[in-house]
Amino acid sequence: MTSIDHSTEAVVIIGSGAGGGTLAYELTKAGIECVLLEAGPYLRGEDYMNLEWAAFDQMAWTDTRTTSGSWRVAKDFPNLPAWIVKAVGGTTTHWSGATPRFKPHEFRTRSTYGRVDGASLMDWPLTYEELEPYYTRAEDAIGSTHRGGRPPLPANNNYKVLAAGAEQLGYRHYATGPYGTNAEPYDGRPASIQDGFNFQGDKNGSKWSTMVREIPRALETGKLDLRPDSHVAQILHDRTGRVDAVLYLDTEGNLHRQAAKLVCVAGNAIETPRLLHLSSSSLFPDGLANSSGLVGRNYMRHMTGSVYAQFDKPVHMYRGETMAGNISDESVHDPSRGFAGGYYIQTISLGPAFMASFVEPGAWGPSFTRLLDAYENTAGCWLVGEDMPQESNAITLDPTVTDQHGLPVAHVHFDDHPNDIAMREHAYSRGEALYEAVGAVGTHRTTPYPSTHNLGTCRMSERPEDGVVDGFGRAHDVPNLFVSDGSQFTTGAAANPTLTIVALAIRQAEHIAESLRSGAV
Amino acid sequence: MQWEGDAMSAPSGDEAVNEIEGTDEAEATLTALIKAAFPHERVPDSAYRRAADTVRCAAEESAWMRVKLAHGLDSLEALAHGRFTELSPEEALPLLLRIQHTTFFGFVRQTVVVSLYEDEEVWEAVGYEGPSFEKGGYLHRGFDDLDWLPDPRIEEYDGDPLVEVVSDLPRAATTKSVRGAAVPAGQSRARAGRTGRGTKGQQA
Repeated sequence: MTSIDHSTEAVVIIGSGAGGGTLAYELTKAGIECVLLEAGPYLRGEDYMNLEWAAFDQMAWTDTRTTSGSWRVAKDFPNLPAWIVKAVGGTTTHWSGATPRFKPHEFRTRSTYGRVDGASLMDWPLTYEELEPYYTRAEDAIGSTHRGGRPPLPANNNYKVLAAGAEQLGYRHYATGPYGTNAEPYDGRPASIQDGFNFQGDKNGSKWSTMVREIPRALETGKLDLRPDSHVAQILHDRTGRVDAVLYLDTEGNLHRQAAKLVCVAGNAIETPRLLHLSSSSLFPDGLANSSGLVGRNYMRHMTGSVYAQFDKPVHMYRGETMAGNISDESVHDPSRGFAGGYYIQTISLGPAFMASFVEPGAWGPSFTRLLDAYENTAGCWLVGEDMPQESNAITLDPTVTDQHGLPVAHVHFDDHPNDIAMREHAYSRGEALYEAVGAVGTHRTTPYPSTHNLGTCRMSERPEDGVVDGFGRAHDVPNLFVSDGSQFTTGAAANPTLTIVALAIRQAEHIAESLRSGAV
Repeated sequence: MQWEGDAMSAPSGDEAVNEIEGTDEAEATLTALIKAAFPHERVPDSAYRRAADTVRCAAEESAWMRVKLAHGLDSLEALAHGRFTELSPEEALPLLLRIQHTTFFGFVRQTVVVSLYEDEEVWEAVGYEGPSFEKGGYLHRGFDDLDWLPDPRIEEYDGDPLVEVVSDLPRAATTKSVRGAAVPAGQSRARAGRTGRGTKGQQA
């Protein structure tokens, strides 16, 4: 592997997931030397495990965080607000694989939805049309099924139930994708063997992640210095306010300094604003790049929920691709339903271990064990839709709790907006109706899991006072600082975010390469 | 696994929290408690005993939890007049409801909920097959064997595109809205239909 000297001013990328991993590949492919700092270990396919809790302990980001707000996660999992990955590949290691695009109007929600009380809706400084070519490139990188001539995955058991129910309800826009796992060999990776393990990392390598594609290819260019187990503690700047280095910790707690000509932060929407806050200085007293006061604010986590339905016949939902089933009919903006924005209905499956912890957190007794006893005959869906940005939903530094390195931990405050609650109620009802239409003998509404979609905490805006970064993800306040993950999202849209994060990263890489060539940064 | 470690040796004499800590009675009460809190007809006692071992080992890691567990089991027996292990799950339930908010019960529940359901005998009881990669996944082992519903379409719908923005205003008003920016021009169904095709990428 290429070794870049610590005093060489490199492009430094923080985080190796959908945003950072993609950026590292696109920049090194363009001949630009990068240092990629990943807080977690370098786990590979052979390290992944087909065991839910063992895999969780192996790869989840379990460094302490604290929570507040009326969301139920703060009560049930007060130190686990988000379920994301700390390993090379970031959260693409355990993502499910659903790859819908945002819809054009979801880039201009303020104009489309109008004013929603208590919501800080804003149009993106970017249109669907501008991002469209990058969506195509992202789909080709991921290998999304149903796109670019790639075939659909076959119907698994859980999908058969979902699709039959959808048909009964009059839904038409259902399919087994688009989905980021190969239905047939593609791009040097094999077809899915339908092993049912996604949230634990795909041992077969059929599922796209930056660990299987972008990072090895970036290493092959000879331009990447990948440093796993490197937790960034602070971004430093010079007297003119340009960032010029980062400080990071190795597993022994030793501090290292890497010089930087440009820094891209892609630590997911909790760690990214935490790092900017940790990087405050006398020049940036409220946190780096935070003249707007919006670093960490407008935290979004998507409206989510699940419905698990019990039948009198076997389903075996755990066999096969977890989320290769998607209904788009409710993903539209139709205010007659009583809320703004839309949601998708997607297949989901948990093994008994995760079912027990998440199907009804805190529950016990016969009403609980009945849900597990019905496991074999259970089908499940996930409801995922746009939630309203609210400035009061925020990532801040906890004033009293520190992590294993002594750094203040992230505090996550979240309250559902009434629009989120109305959408969730609608989605639960439709999920129940769907399963009842094909003979469910019982259904259970499962509360949102710890957040897997973390968004919006360094939002894009046209004007510096309205957000943290511009339409390319460049900090309004710091010319050589970029945000490269879902933190950039001005609003969350209904779609699962990974595809859009990848598309934005490809576009950002082009912009950075051009800016470095022209001397604009 | 943890329950095969040194923690099997019971504390005795001055080292014990109370008279029942580490005794067979404590072990039996804990197992009965877990069985009553997580009743499954098809789960064998061996799985419940392993869960009890896990709880005891977890308690060893914290003096506070060790004390809570020893006292909790003692007072549960007191509530049951010394015959908790003889109660059926239905009979035990009212007692558990009385102690459900105690640190003791919370600790047991929390520990069991993450260990019991990773037990292979429990998987077998609820109809789950465990790790599958080494067996070649389910590609040839029933990922699509559900036969009581028709085989569904797997491709995307090729009929009318999804109408992505449904206006709440009468159609005649959509292009000249009195609400100005709140409802911009171009929200008619025809326009929404065109943008809808755009989102399908190369499928358009």
